[in-house]
Amino acid sequence: MHEDKSETVMTPDEETKRPARGGVSRRNFLQFAGAVGATTAFVSKARVASAGNGWTTSLDDFPKEKLVGMYRTMLKSRTWEDTFKELFLAGKDGLYGAFHMSIGMEASSVGTISALREDDYIASNHRGHSHLIAKGGDLNKMSAELFFKQTGYNKGFGGSMHITDVSKGILGMNGIIGPQYLFAAGAGYSAKVRGTDQVAVAFGGDGSVNNGWYYSGLRNAALYKLPMIAIVENNGYQIAMPQERTNNLRNLSDLGAGLDIAYETVNGMDVLAVHTVMQRAVARARAGEGPTLIETKTYRFMDHSGLAGAKPGVLGAFGLPYRSDSEVRAWIAEDPIPKLRRQLIANDIITDAEADQVVAEVKQLVDDSIEFARSSPLTIPEAGLENVFAGTSVKASQFVGI
Amino acid sequence: MSNKNSTYAILEAIQHEMRNDPHLTMLYEYQRPVAADPLGNVIDLYKEFGDLRIPDWGPIDEEWLLGGAAGIAMTGVRAISHLPSMTTVRCFELVFNQVGKLRHMTGGQVNMPLVVWQDASGRRPGSAGQHADAGQEALYAAIPGVKVVIPANAYDAKGLFTAALRDPDPVIFFQYGAAINGVQIDVPDDPYVIPLGEAAIRQEGTDLTIVGYGPAAVEINKAAPDLKSFGISAEIIDPRTLKPLPIDPIIASVRKTGRLLVVDHGHESHGTASEIIARVAMAVPGAKFGRSTFPDAPPPGAREMIAWMTPDAPKVVEASKKMMQA
Repeated sequence: MHEDKSETVMTPDEETKRPARGGVSRRNFLQFAGAVGATTAFVSKARVASAGNGWTTSLDDFPKEKLVGMYRTMLKSRTWEDTFKELFLAGKDGLYGAFHMSIGMEASSVGTISALREDDYIASNHRGHSHLIAKGGDLNKMSAELFFKQTGYNKGFGGSMHITDVSKGILGMNGIIGPQYLFAAGAGYSAKVRGTDQVAVAFGGDGSVNNGWYYSGLRNAALYKLPMIAIVENNGYQIAMPQERTNNLRNLSDLGAGLDIAYETVNGMDVLAVHTVMQRAVARARAGEGPTLIETKTYRFMDHSGLAGAKPGVLGAFGLPYRSDSEVRAWIAEDPIPKLRRQLIANDIITDAEADQVVAEVKQLVDDSIEFARSSPLTIPEAGLENVFAGTSVKASQFVGI
Repeated sequence: MSNKNSTYAILEAIQHEMRNDPHLTMLYEYQRPVAADPLGNVIDLYKEFGDLRIPDWGPIDEEWLLGGAAGIAMTGVRAISHLPSMTTVRCFELVFNQVGKLRHMTGGQVNMPLVVWQDASGRRPGSAGQHADAGQEALYAAIPGVKVVIPANAYDAKGLFTAALRDPDPVIFFQYGAAINGVQIDVPDDPYVIPLGEAAIRQEGTDLTIVGYGPAAVEINKAAPDLKSFGISAEIIDPRTLKPLPIDPIIASVRKTGRLLVVDHGHESHGTASEIIARVAMAVPGAKFGRSTFPDAPPPGAREMIAWMTPDAPKVVEASKKMMQA
């Protein structure tokens, strides 16, 4: 558990003076979030998960299974990625390829996706392990895909950045920034044509709002009132470039005003706040009221990609040139997983021992998935010619014939 | 059965498929899918299928028309994206990095029953630059995972469009202006399929094989009587599909004639003509090869310039004569 090291804690008085939306700098936001975190930790008996800015959420609004489920799913994502981080660092399994961790951002993925049904769609991005796990992704198949094994979700064709499970409405992680907004709008259009009340959700980071597909997906979802929700997971950095140097907007959801759609910015380090905002968006989408743009203010504790600044057994990546270590520690103090655990225990929803039991179960699942991946067969080289078109293979052309 | 133009023939194919598939949806911009045949029959897809499946006059946003249609297709619903001619490669990135790769990248999970109905202007005078292009089909045919179809007449257009709609993979369907009314041909009213990847041998011959598709096939067709009058027995082949490319009948023909002329309204370098000649050259050593293409220059607006630069029927005849002397 990490200590809260944010320097300033706002008093409740200052909180009430804050306007309902807008005008919050990233640093102030963190201080504000810190205050909320501190409030929930100490005023736990108030059974209030988050406060201010329209996010107020009582634990009483959620059944126990839902709350424990969110805790379990966030842990699953954290433990799975953390285990892979350790495996990459240890270097024993010969792991290779792209690896973008969501560690720190689990409240955003789990808070949003836990408001969906199994038949809803998500279009995920390069940082999508957590989205997949939240949508019910199978850990064995995910692990095997990171090992590029035949038993992986994509049979070794994709790797970490492209994991897909169409059967669970997971239209795929994707290594390109932005098409998620078009795909989700299209999937929403499909739901409308088929007369279902399915919802389609696009995920992107603060960098993904900077190209035209974002605007196009949202604009057309607004035009046709599509059941589409865009989640902008604002972790503050487009790779190594801070948000204020890539965008004139402070709250990225403000674009929604210009599109005349529903939009909210929410504390992405608070799973219940995120979930509450998402529930509203899903209800609107199912009711035919069109898209919602949600910005979750969050933070990745690790580097953009790979293992720079990472150490075995240490949460967070430190010593990176584009951000300060104190900033990283301040956000780690907001870690949504211990935060939810504190709330659940303080409000007698689960006991400390029960929480430990969840931790142990999740660890077992993750360890089993690694064993499954290790013991699975490698791909057959010739298989690379398959799956270009349905039911056929392309011909080999790399060997010179005579 | 009547003498329909390609657009009517394509709408007939779409109408039939839409009547049988309650979800098939088309995104398009600025031009309602309406056409009439010579007998006065009118197909109006918007009127018949309504604003949801044929959303009226969509926004000028080709990324949406293609990316949205791809999103629809990814959910198992067949979709058509109809794009105007001057935007032939506007969505190239979405085709290159998404539409063509998703099945492979996901280990076969993603079906993409998507037809990109791509208008193509071809080498017409008075438009210049962006509105008189040809040859972009070669760019798409170079991408793994997408099929590329280019009919030269209304009969092929209908049969190939039906095949494209029933295909589980993405198909880029080029409809050139020249192919709309270029070759008059009767088109049956009932649906039929021309399988993707089957060439049409338009005329059998023994002296010279001439290959061309789309607008080039229209010009070759116009040249056929003159070739005959000059005593050249030409075997004329229209591949109709660039991917999969039906190379076998072309190879078989060149084995017989010993000469291959490829006519292409695309540019000289790195175009379809190069690909066809390379494949045949490796299979038929000793054969003679020639190509007549649009030069490596953008299309100029003035009639004299663009007409001189375009491989038309007289140039096909000239090229054929030269090849017979070689």
